[in-house]
Amino acid sequence: MKAVKGRFFFGGVHVPDMKALTQDAPIEELPEPPVVTIETSQSLGKPAIPCVNVGDTVAQGQLIARANGAISSDVFASISGKVTDITTLEDEHGCQGQFIVIEGDGSRSKQYMPPLTNPSAEEIVQRVKDAGIVGLGGAGFPTAVKLQPHKPVDTFIINGSECEPYLTCDHRVMIEKTDEVARGARYLAKALGVTNIMIGIETNKPDCIAAFEKFDDIKVIALRKKYPMGGEKQLIYSATGRKVGLGKLPADAGVVVNNVATCLAVCEAVELGKPLFQSILTVSGHAVARPANVKVPVGTPYSYIVEKCGGEKEAPRKVLSGGPMTGVAVKSYDLYVKKTTSGILLLSKEEAAAEEPTPCLNCGLCADHCPMHLMPMNTAFYSSAGDIEKAAKLGGAMYCIECGVCEYVCPAKRPLIQAIRKTKAAVRAQQNKGGK
Amino acid sequence: MDNSIVISTPPHVKSKRTTRKIMLDVLIALAPAAICGIVYFLLDALILEIVCVAFAVVAEFVYFFIAKGGFNVRFSNDETKELAKKVAELKKAGQPYDEEASALKAKREELKKAAFAKSRGVCLSFFRQFDFTSVVTGLILALILPPTVNWYEAAIGSVFSIVIVKMVFGGTGRNIVNPAAAGRVFMFISFAITAYTAANFGTIGEASGDTLSSGATYLSGALLLKEPNVGAVSLVDLFLGTGVAGCIGETCKLALIVGYIYLCVRRVIKWWQPLLYIVVTGLMAAALNTDFAFFLPSILSGGLMFGGIFMFTDYVTSPKGVYAQIVYYVVAAVLTAVLRHLTHLEVVSFVILIMNLIVPLLDRYIIRKPFGYKREKKTKEVSDK
Repeated sequence: MKAVKGRFFFGGVHVPDMKALTQDAPIEELPEPPVVTIETSQSLGKPAIPCVNVGDTVAQGQLIARANGAISSDVFASISGKVTDITTLEDEHGCQGQFIVIEGDGSRSKQYMPPLTNPSAEEIVQRVKDAGIVGLGGAGFPTAVKLQPHKPVDTFIINGSECEPYLTCDHRVMIEKTDEVARGARYLAKALGVTNIMIGIETNKPDCIAAFEKFDDIKVIALRKKYPMGGEKQLIYSATGRKVGLGKLPADAGVVVNNVATCLAVCEAVELGKPLFQSILTVSGHAVARPANVKVPVGTPYSYIVEKCGGEKEAPRKVLSGGPMTGVAVKSYDLYVKKTTSGILLLSKEEAAAEEPTPCLNCGLCADHCPMHLMPMNTAFYSSAGDIEKAAKLGGAMYCIECGVCEYVCPAKRPLIQAIRKTKAAVRAQQNKGGK
Repeated sequence: MDNSIVISTPPHVKSKRTTRKIMLDVLIALAPAAICGIVYFLLDALILEIVCVAFAVVAEFVYFFIAKGGFNVRFSNDETKELAKKVAELKKAGQPYDEEASALKAKREELKKAAFAKSRGVCLSFFRQFDFTSVVTGLILALILPPTVNWYEAAIGSVFSIVIVKMVFGGTGRNIVNPAAAGRVFMFISFAITAYTAANFGTIGEASGDTLSSGATYLSGALLLKEPNVGAVSLVDLFLGTGVAGCIGETCKLALIVGYIYLCVRRVIKWWQPLLYIVVTGLMAAALNTDFAFFLPSILSGGLMFGGIFMFTDYVTSPKGVYAQIVYYVVAAVLTAVLRHLTHLEVVSFVILIMNLIVPLLDRYIIRKPFGYKREKKTKEVSDK
């Protein structure tokens, strides 16, 4: 279907997208790493419980940790080999987590689920759950939970906006796996019982828009190039004109949103029976020798990927897991790819922001650009004064989606997101206290 | 990977815009007005501009130096005192004291070095954090002064603006009123007998406009006449500032509009802000006089345009939210027109001060609703049905 222009919303900012570094690099499958270290916590919710023992031989795609609770997800072996250790390590957030170490034996033995032909809605939901598929946009919310909305929905939106600068993995997926993404989206729509499928793509990816225009059942929305267009609430408004209420889920507006990578994973799970054990990510930044889009097994060490991409060109100022606007700055390469990892960025001195904050000018740019129409400067001001109540009320910190726009535009380089997170944590702690 | 790696909260890329760049943009936008002032008023204007800017920067530096402990250094401490005492005792007793004396000398030298290092550190940190706000304040103050003001009066006003209005409250971003407006009002009250009467009220009786008539004076003069005469000075003269005396930077409206366009293109200010203020003032003036002929003379006269473009839009002392800003400019415009009509004075600086003081209230009570707020209400209504 011919692309339709997306709606305008107030707020947001044009961030230099820096996608030219990798947007023409096809996705390459890196050779299997000799050892993978798979974290049991691959989604929101509780970490999965390991169901293999040290010394067990596992095949690629074999279940190694079982979901623990409703919003947890299963974890699968990403290479065939022997479990050599189940240990506690630090993840990219600096939290302790349980990791399963598998040493590859090169036998390439596989253990997939049987492929489904013409599955029913229930079968699809079950398969999505069994394949351990989580939202690959970053949050890692189990997709199966999204497929059982608490309210009837009428629209399914594929999030192909990829508004984060540098990242191009979704872009490449949309170009190279157009049919698979479309089929995966149809399976998801079938599971939800909706026929209205939309895909939102930013106008800086005209090749993707053209690629999806060939499907008759998918409505292409050409979104404005603006960060954070891929934010769930902003995307839904741009595509459908519906506003998701504060503290509500997209299903309250009758919409379910999934990322293109998730659609691809669903397609592979249904048609090939392949569980989610691989991750497509972008390695970029001006400090890496060969920026690329790569497909690696979950649990691959960052150091291995960076090495395969030619190593460091210069000493990076910041190393990020994820995009530059919402990603996590990490302190070493001793980290391991998760299902949700979307990029490893090595930012050079010129790219990475590390200025000292100067006094706030009250210019109001943060409020002008906030896609949620909040007042970040109030939160920062009152939070530094220790007045949590006012920080939350006047700044609207609890509705913040932490997109980072306010801090991006701030001419004084104030640490606004930090203040907002601090306020959120303090308010939650207070609420928990009150609840008890 | 080495130790130079930085860990911080996201976002990890930031815009290139900084406070310093914004202030430089404002200076560039002020340049046409400053140059026009020099062209029209020659040496008087040049001296005032230089004096105001220089005194503003020096005042900021001195305040910073004192506040950061640049003078709080000591050339003696307990150790040197004791040594000195010992030396004196030895001297008195007639014993050799060379060793102690040289030790004392070395200690004093050390202290001296440390003191100078501290002072130098304070100076360096001043230049590192210097963001041109004091230059902007000084230049704006010069541009809203009549050219007949004595240079030492301007210097006092400039120091007042920086020290009392800005630095005492905590420096950049903390002042509660516009420093330049406060400085001008301070001078207006303090030195009213000399320059201000000449520049602002001298022509009330004459209303001819070829001597010392500031735009507002022209207007008030025209209004004070038995038969109001809005055509006393041609609008083209008012627009270009030719043949119309007034404040240094306020006479040539063309230069101000060039600056306005520059600020809008650089997105330093929002284009509608000055426009809203100026247009509403003009309409209000026309409404008060029930004559639309007052519209153009009132927006072209006095400090209205300058204040609207450069002073009301000052980030620090204007509201942060969009709706609060709209209220701010409309109320300011109405106040300007009404006060002008009642007092026949040039009231823009006073209105700026009054409005600055109610900004915290506007910020506190006019808050934009978060995205998705209305939707919640609507669904409630639907479910009620």
